[in-house]
Amino acid sequence: MDYLWLKAFHIAAASVWIGGVLIAAVTIGALMASRNAAEAPGRSAILDAVRSWDRRVTTPAMVLVWALGMTLAIHGDWFGARWLTGKLVLVLALSALHGLVSGSLRRLGRADATPPSSRLRHAPAAIIVGVVAIVLLVVIKPL
Amino acid sequence: MAPDIAEEHRQLRRMRAASLLEGSTLLLLVVVAVPLKHLAGMAAATAVMGPIHGLAFLVYIWMLIQTVSGGGWSRSETIRLAIAAFIPFGAFVNERALARRQKALLAPG
Repeated sequence: MDYLWLKAFHIAAASVWIGGVLIAAVTIGALMASRNAAEAPGRSAILDAVRSWDRRVTTPAMVLVWALGMTLAIHGDWFGARWLTGKLVLVLALSALHGLVSGSLRRLGRADATPPSSRLRHAPAAIIVGVVAIVLLVVIKPL
Repeated sequence: MAPDIAEEHRQLRRMRAASLLEGSTLLLLVVVAVPLKHLAGMAAATAVMGPIHGLAFLVYIWMLIQTVSGGGWSRSETIRLAIAAFIPFGAFVNERALARRQKALLAPG
């Protein structure tokens, strides 16, 4: 029963985390696409709202995902399983991408900063690919 | 204080907190939990402290990625911040360096 509760909260936290990273990544893509409208009204309000959501909701959800995931792997004796190793690599990659996206939000809010890398426009697609791969690894356990 | 500087100031404060957390949990693991396991046979000490430090380490590395991708950090500063996480007491040296940067940010002119 404890294991199922942990698993349920792990999935709930992961849903909140990934939803938040997507919000941030899509916002960055939209703001970079409209570079000429740097002084457009509402730009800083949007950035403030997304940054605040990232700091107050998305980042704590990510830490919860790590903590609950670690507990589940220890409880379920899953460390060493190949599907979990694959999943861990993907989770670390998604976490690093979240860090990049989160830092880029701060960068976009600074008047003196250079714009973030244009490669970040691919971030939403990379997040979706990562999440689909993680779900396949966990549910199907093909490895 | 300008909004940009205020945000940078808050970010440095969070980074210092992550640095202290990482350094403290590493010290507790190496100085308390590992000797307890090997000298007193208390395996639970590392079983508890290991994952806690692992989590603190992940938080620190994540904060580092987030801080550096915000801009304004040289490559050597980034490398030093990353290496310090692997050395006991390194995080405390880092925390002082971050505090100096924070003080310079608030200095007039």
